[in-house]
Amino acid sequence: MDNIKPQDVSKPSEQMIKLDNLMSLPAPYDQPGMEPDIKTAGDAWSKNYCASLDGIIGNDMLFRPKTGPEEKQIISKFLNGLDKLFYEESNGGYLQPLLLSFEYCEKCNTCSEACHVFKGSGEKEIYRPVFRSEVFRMLYKKYKKGGSLWRRFLGGDIEINVEAVMRLGELAYRCNLCRRCAQVCPLGLDNGLLAREIRKLFSQEMNMAPKLLHEKGSVLQLKTGSSTGIARAAFLDMMEFMEEDIADRTGKHYKIPIDKKGADILLIHNAGEFFSWPDGPAAFAIIFGEAGLDWTLSSDIAGYDCVNYGLFYDDLQARKLALHQLKAARELGVRRIIIGECGHAHRASAVTSDRLVAGGDNIPRESCFPLLWDLVKNNILKLNPARNNFPVTLHDPCNITRMMGIIQPQRQIIKAVCPWFKEMTPNGVKNYCCGGGSGFAVMNSLNLQEWMCKVSCRMKFKQVLEAFQNTVENKSMIKYVCAPCSNCKGTFRNMLDYYQATSRFNIRYGGLAELIVNAMVEFNRPYLEFLNEDIT
Amino acid sequence: MLLLFFLYLSLFAFLTFSINKFFWFARMPLHGRWELYPVPREPAERARYGGSYYEEPEWWKKPRKISRIGEIKKVLKEMFFIRRLFINQRRHWWFSYSLHAGIYWLILWAVFLLAGAVTELSGQVLITGEDGNFWAGLVYSGTLISGGAGVLLLTVGSTGLFLRRMFNRVLNKYSAPQDYFNLLFILAVAVSGLVVWNGDPGFDYGREILKAMLTFSPVKAGTALTVHILLLGALLIYIPQTKMSHYVCKFFAFHRVLWDNEPNLKNSKIERKIKRTLSNKPPVVSWAAPHAKISEQLKELSGEDQEE
Repeated sequence: MDNIKPQDVSKPSEQMIKLDNLMSLPAPYDQPGMEPDIKTAGDAWSKNYCASLDGIIGNDMLFRPKTGPEEKQIISKFLNGLDKLFYEESNGGYLQPLLLSFEYCEKCNTCSEACHVFKGSGEKEIYRPVFRSEVFRMLYKKYKKGGSLWRRFLGGDIEINVEAVMRLGELAYRCNLCRRCAQVCPLGLDNGLLAREIRKLFSQEMNMAPKLLHEKGSVLQLKTGSSTGIARAAFLDMMEFMEEDIADRTGKHYKIPIDKKGADILLIHNAGEFFSWPDGPAAFAIIFGEAGLDWTLSSDIAGYDCVNYGLFYDDLQARKLALHQLKAARELGVRRIIIGECGHAHRASAVTSDRLVAGGDNIPRESCFPLLWDLVKNNILKLNPARNNFPVTLHDPCNITRMMGIIQPQRQIIKAVCPWFKEMTPNGVKNYCCGGGSGFAVMNSLNLQEWMCKVSCRMKFKQVLEAFQNTVENKSMIKYVCAPCSNCKGTFRNMLDYYQATSRFNIRYGGLAELIVNAMVEFNRPYLEFLNEDIT
Repeated sequence: MLLLFFLYLSLFAFLTFSINKFFWFARMPLHGRWELYPVPREPAERARYGGSYYEEPEWWKKPRKISRIGEIKKVLKEMFFIRRLFINQRRHWWFSYSLHAGIYWLILWAVFLLAGAVTELSGQVLITGEDGNFWAGLVYSGTLISGGAGVLLLTVGSTGLFLRRMFNRVLNKYSAPQDYFNLLFILAVAVSGLVVWNGDPGFDYGREILKAMLTFSPVKAGTALTVHILLLGALLIYIPQTKMSHYVCKFFAFHRVLWDNEPNLKNSKIERKIKRTLSNKPPVVSWAAPHAKISEQLKELSGEDQEE
């Protein structure tokens, strides 16, 4: 166990911890040489960013100040933001949950055992959920309470300096905001919420949010319509191409309706799927077409991209995007919005934005999974589960399960279409995060991806290996991780690549809609491309 | 008479500060939804695995089912057994449970003392019940059992938690001096109670104090009892000022945050609250980042159709 205390964040050191002695992985990854070593930041990066926490740079906008006045300015901005977190006028929407989690922690450390980052790292002290929260508390108490004896009595015995502020800013990006820790807290307190509040302070006050979430994420989405940068014209081209591709692969033409006024359903996908996993949206087009649903896509701003990165770091950006999405639906006059396979968008759209509007603006939002299960259950689609003749396990996206309570529909579908389904342990509402939650999956500018694959994904990779335990080393057998969430898919892509699990052991990943279409009897070819040589 | 006034004052302060804290939290603005499943107010068949109404297609058309019984059962389990700690951190639970169970027994003890005081004031004599008076026997034995169990459990719990915090490396590094002080304060009250009990095994002193409080008569106390009363009173005044007032926080943390999955449905109570919140004045304290300026575009987006 590291002999590190929260107060140590203020003390100068090259790096607070070394990323060694991580949690061991099961066979065949228990052998030396099965995973690459992690590369921490070099001198050049360390001069410009905060690499003094663990050698990893998560927030690439957190620039190290070069001069004394710059240092003072950072500290001053931080303290201003700290104040604003606790004002009703500037943080009324989260003040009550913040104060509860901030004031009442008994530091019993029950949360640590539930945290996949802490456990995966081999129990590194700085990754304890309470470590980050305690630094946050101590800085606030030191700053607010004054008077050294009283401050120390209350637990504000910490120095405020630029190192502490920057390390706290980085620490906020070592938590996936999966909130598994809050599930076990005897007082119902939430370290995930505190991590997000710290991110919020850095973004809303200091303008220091990771570039891929903010500038190239939510800002880009509000400007072009999508965080991928796909503008309306490009989106329309892509949909046209998708129609042709579906026709080529299935021999059947499916219309992808766009901007259809008065449709029953506005379906919104994560636009990243159009680039990286087009089989997902295409599968939806096939299923909705076969079921004869009255649906449409939108080409409006945020109408064709359900991504809302604001959920991860910034209330104001989250609000703007959620309102744009509702505006797109309102202008089309649809009856309901259905969110495709994207976990954070599920929550941002259905839950987080639920108290932003009222009356006629409040167009109902729902998950795609109950609708898909309804179609499967009622035999609207003709399916043959034998076509999915390979082991399948299901990853539960935190935002869909733990934060929305959608547990059964996706399971029922998989059980109906995959005869070799095997659950991970634990699963459902007690699942572990994929490791890429809260934006990590897309934050690939410096070396956070290495940390993600090595540390935050470690528990999930272990679960995958355990779910396929008897078949992992059978390379001729395809093993499929169903990850019905774009962010989780991105994580699995990077994770399986990092551990070379596809090339070595034929472990694949993908969504849920693709499995349904792959089981449809009317197509001669398997829908999943990697099966074309396996199913006759 | 000073002791009597101090007792009134400490009880009054405890209740006033606790109630004040409750209303302080209750008056806070409506917050964004931040629920976490399993939510026990979902019907039992769903709450069992952590499901919600979002599992239904077109969920807003379905009748909203809320299980108050499920919620109450979960609350009681958490209150009386500290279930989450029991499941997730058994070692800590033993002492934490001992301390909390001690408090519950002592609350029961106070009820028995009050019953005993009223009984004695009404002219009956409280003895072991050998004379056949069931009520007198019940109150007398109840006082003995609850008081004895309470003070012993409280002593064991506060000592155990203090020592764990001292010698467990993880707990130690996250504990502030106040965390130790709080436990020592409780322990001091428990130990002074043990000393007084040692000289008065039937807890007659407790009934005498209650009778004095009911009749506004001076409290007769020796040195040990005076110290005990002063410590207990001070603790009652101190608790609501600290995080030991988590009996208030827990209500909000669970009922108003983690279990509040009430959807914003048309014509619902929550919709009315949201409309009120949305019609409030815009924030006067704004954030400094460039994107944080409230733009006309945002006003337009959020302002439409609010009055419908």
